[in-house]
Amino acid sequence: MEQIGNMIGWETVKMIVGLVGVLAFVVFNALILTWAERKVAGHMQRRIGPKEVGPYGLIQPIADALKLLGKEILTPRGVDKPLYYLAPMIIFVPVLVSFIVIPFSASLQVMDINVGILVILAFSSLSVFSILMAGWGSNNKYALIGAIRSIAQNIAYEIPLLLALLSIIMMTNSFSLKTIVEAQKGLWFVVYQPLAFLIYFIAAVAETNRTPFDLPEAESELVAGYHTEYSGMRFALFFLAEYTNVFIVSAIAVTFFLGGYQGPFLPGIVWFLLKSYLLVFVIMWLRWTYPRVRFDQLLNISWKALIPLAFINLLVTGGLLKL
Amino acid sequence: MNLGEIIFLITIVATLGGAAMAVLSGSIIYAMMGLVTTMFGIAGLYVYLDNPFLSMMQILIYVGAVSVLIAFAIMLIGPLYRKPKEWTTVGKFVAALGVALVSLFMFVRFVMETFPRAGNPSFKITTKEIGRLFFNNLVLPFELISLLVVVAILGAIMLALFSRGNK
Repeated sequence: MEQIGNMIGWETVKMIVGLVGVLAFVVFNALILTWAERKVAGHMQRRIGPKEVGPYGLIQPIADALKLLGKEILTPRGVDKPLYYLAPMIIFVPVLVSFIVIPFSASLQVMDINVGILVILAFSSLSVFSILMAGWGSNNKYALIGAIRSIAQNIAYEIPLLLALLSIIMMTNSFSLKTIVEAQKGLWFVVYQPLAFLIYFIAAVAETNRTPFDLPEAESELVAGYHTEYSGMRFALFFLAEYTNVFIVSAIAVTFFLGGYQGPFLPGIVWFLLKSYLLVFVIMWLRWTYPRVRFDQLLNISWKALIPLAFINLLVTGGLLKL
Repeated sequence: MNLGEIIFLITIVATLGGAAMAVLSGSIIYAMMGLVTTMFGIAGLYVYLDNPFLSMMQILIYVGAVSVLIAFAIMLIGPLYRKPKEWTTVGKFVAALGVALVSLFMFVRFVMETFPRAGNPSFKITTKEIGRLFFNNLVLPFELISLLVVVAILGAIMLALFSRGNK
C-alpha cells in the first residue's frame, strides 16, 4: 500500500477516495429522498405511501432504480444529437463540483478552497445550460418552453440568492465555507440575518425548480418540461441531479446560516446531516402545501420583492459593520 | 508530460475550439455553447495564472450571467427554426477586417505592456487589492462603467415601456 501510495501520490489517492465517496453519497441521498418524498407526500395527503417493498417500503427506491436501469434508452428521431446526449451529463458537473467544498464536519471535507462558495455558485449556472440543451435538443415544444422558463427563472432568482449570501460574506470577510462555519461558534448567523436567510431559502427553492416554483417542468401544462423526451437512465440522471441539488442548497443554507456542523454532544457530521435533511423536509413540505405560482407572479416576487429587500439588507449590513 | 501540462493543453484546446465553434457554427445555439466553452477555458487559464478568485468570477459573470442573458435574448428573438439572413461577401470582408484590426491592436498593446514588465516579480492579486484599485487609481473608469450600466438599464426600461404603449 505504501509503495502504491508513493507511486501515484497520497493526494491522488485522497482525491479518488473523495470522489468515490461523493458519488456514493449522491446515489444514496437520491434513494433516500425519493423514498422520503413519497412518504411525506403520502402522509400529508392522509395516505401511507409506499409500503410493499421492504419494511416501510424502504427498498422501493432500489426497485425503481433497477427498473430505470433496465429500460431501453430511447433516442427519438429528429433530436439534435450532440446537445441531446450531452445535456444529462453536463447537469451532473455542478453537482459533483459542489460536494468538493462542502464541509460535512470539521475534518470531513474533500478540499477547503479559499473561494469555496464561489466555486458552487459559479458552477451551478451550468445546470441552466444543461436544461437549455435538453430543451433545445429534444426538438419538442414542451421541452423548449420548459427551457425558456427555466432561464428566465434562473436569471431572476440568482440575484437575490447571491445578495443574501453576500451579506454573510461581508460579515465573515471570507469565501471559505469552513471559515464561515467557524465564525458561527457563538451565535448562528440566522439570528443576525433572518431576512437574508428567508430570501436565500425562497430563491434556493426557485433555483432547484421545486414546487411552488416548478414552472420549467409543470406537469399539468408541459407534460414533463425539459426532460419530456428523456427515458431510462438519461431521465434518471436528471432525477438524481434534482434531488442532489435540493440537498446542496439545504447544505449551503446550513453552512451559512445554521452553524454548519457545530452542535453539542453529537459529532459534527450528524449535526450537519440532521440540519440539512430538516431543511430538505421543509422544501418537501412546501411542495405539498402551496400550489404552483403563475409565471408573472414568479417573476414579480423576485424582481419587485426579493431583490429590493436583499439590497436593503445588504446596505444595512454594510452600514452596521462600519459602525 | 505530467498531468498538469495535459490539463493545461486541454484548457487551451477548449478555449480555441470554443471560440472557433462560436464563429464558424451556423446554429445560434451551438455558437452560444462555443462561447460558454471559451469562457470556461479562460477561467481555466486564470487557475494556471495562480488566481482562483478571478477564475471563479470569470465563470460566475461570463457563464452564469452574460451567457445566460444571451441565451434569454436568443429565446426572445422569435421563430428559432428560421435561418438568419446570409451576409454579403463585402459585408463579411468588412466585418472580418474590423475584428482583425481591433484584435491586432489589442494584442500589440498587450505585448508591449506586458513583456517589459515580465522580469519583475508579479504582485499577488487579492480581493483586497482589487477593491483598493477600484476606489483609488481606477475610480474614474469604474464610475464611468457604472454610468454606462445605468444608461443601459434606463434604455431597456424605456424600450419596454414604449413597446407596451404601442399595443
